[in-house]
Amino acid sequence: MIYLPIAEMPVAVLLIFLVSGAVGFVSGLVGVGGGFIMTPALLFLGVPAPVAVATGASQIAATSFSGIMTQTRRKAVDWRMGMLLSVGGIVGSSIGVALFERLLRLGQLDLIVSLLYLLLLSSVGFLMVRESYRFWRGRPAKSVSVLRRPLKTVAHNLPFRMRFPRSGLYISVLPPLGLGFVIGAISAIMGIGGGFIVIPAMIYLLRMPTNVVIGTSQFQVLVISSLIVVLQSIATHTVDLVLALLLMAGGVVGAQIGARVGAGIKAEYVRGILGVLLVAASIKFLFDLVVPPDEIYVLGAGLW
Amino acid sequence: MVKRLLAAFAFVLLAGAPASAQQQQQEQQRQPGSDVADDLPAGVAEEQITVSSTYGGSYITVFGVNPDRRGRGDIVVVLRGPNEPATVMRKSRAFGIGNAFGLWVNGDPVRFSEAPAFFAVLSNRPLRDIASPESIWRYQLDPAASAQLASAVPAGGDPSAYRAALVRLRREQGLYQWYATPPREGVRGGLTAYRGGLFRAVVRLPANAPIAQYHADTYLFRDGRLISRQRIPITIARIGVERTIHDLATNVSWLYGIVTVLLALLAGWGSAVLFRRP
Repeated sequence: MIYLPIAEMPVAVLLIFLVSGAVGFVSGLVGVGGGFIMTPALLFLGVPAPVAVATGASQIAATSFSGIMTQTRRKAVDWRMGMLLSVGGIVGSSIGVALFERLLRLGQLDLIVSLLYLLLLSSVGFLMVRESYRFWRGRPAKSVSVLRRPLKTVAHNLPFRMRFPRSGLYISVLPPLGLGFVIGAISAIMGIGGGFIVIPAMIYLLRMPTNVVIGTSQFQVLVISSLIVVLQSIATHTVDLVLALLLMAGGVVGAQIGARVGAGIKAEYVRGILGVLLVAASIKFLFDLVVPPDEIYVLGAGLW
Repeated sequence: MVKRLLAAFAFVLLAGAPASAQQQQQEQQRQPGSDVADDLPAGVAEEQITVSSTYGGSYITVFGVNPDRRGRGDIVVVLRGPNEPATVMRKSRAFGIGNAFGLWVNGDPVRFSEAPAFFAVLSNRPLRDIASPESIWRYQLDPAASAQLASAVPAGGDPSAYRAALVRLRREQGLYQWYATPPREGVRGGLTAYRGGLFRAVVRLPANAPIAQYHADTYLFRDGRLISRQRIPITIARIGVERTIHDLATNVSWLYGIVTVLLALLAGWGSAVLFRRP
């Protein structure tokens, strides 16, 4: 057991290490950031929501920095696009942190976070299960849909166009700024990196080539999550350094093991299993929202 | 009397309190007075509780002597944390179709000023048999006594239901405790009376109890009236790494945030280098 100085609760070191290791393992296996599994996992362990969200961001920063180092060697980061996404994200996450604090005071943070997770986990889980099912049936159709992306999107027609040599694009700066803004705000409230939202948006909306998409999104995630850690430290004092270190250690080791195991298994099956888990977790969120509670009174967040 | 003094002295030594002050108080005690005297001889075994990285809760022990020569009256011991504002919300169905389906949503928060963050009351028999309801309220022997409503209650809400919910929820968290019987075999926590008017009160302080300044208050009631009391401060404080981290996080929060980010970058860099594949 170790006492967390900010969360003001004792936790079992081994349990936190195992959970963060398992989340890291899954993220390495499937190739996702893992923030959207880590935050609910911490909530289930009894960590208060503000601490879970704010501290989770530091673990996301660690994972994304590790990823960028690999991607940079492959020259797979569009820095200019990443900067634009980050500028939008900085504004978005600042507003997100302010909104987070406001919702907490109104007593509605839990509801909003639960609803967002319900929406997110069920839709991502459903997509993963569907993809895996199609593969199992021998019709892996959607994975080549990148080739069928529309030739011109709204990004090509808006004003303030700019050249992005690494992506080979000449598009308006407004969609990347807007996309960064939305991801930043969602990250701050939900404690996720947002890679699995930003990556499809980059491919379908901005028409970026797939080889630079992951590195560029990781760059944006790194900037946003680092900013969220600093902002939450100042605004809400909810970043727990001891918990953060445990999460980083477990997550980093788990991710490496996951990546190695994942190399030997068909990714589609792994995604199918993860998809089922996500759908199950979203049912749990729905259940908690709909079923009459035993205790209809709740205490407000006692962190202020 | 000599026996009594010796016993008190022994306990005072155990408590580590200044003996002379306690003796002086006993001198004062001999003059009978109608008003409440602040002279109940009592001490605590732990005046400071330290919270380090291995902290998992603690016990607080209060020792004392019933100053009544014939041992009349009832001792009540209260351990109080700091008074802080608290909020309580009531869930209700919203966005539903009629009453059949819908999401359970928190209503507007109801604020209470000055609710104790921790509260434990110990006695040998039920409190209502010891003190009158007025005394219980006046001397705040109930955690709800100090919790004043500080905001409007949503339409149709009952303020006393919110107050009762606050007490009930805190009780479930182990932050509000009642001990009305002597401790059972094998269970730590409760008020034990010994021969010669000695008593010992043990309170379990859970790990989720706030880290702050506490007070142990000892009361002597006779015939429903308060005769004598004593207040002893107890400090719960972080030490070592816990303290450094907490101070950094509250006093220089921007630096704390940056340090956390730098550690995250270091962890990410370390893993990328350590697990680099050729």
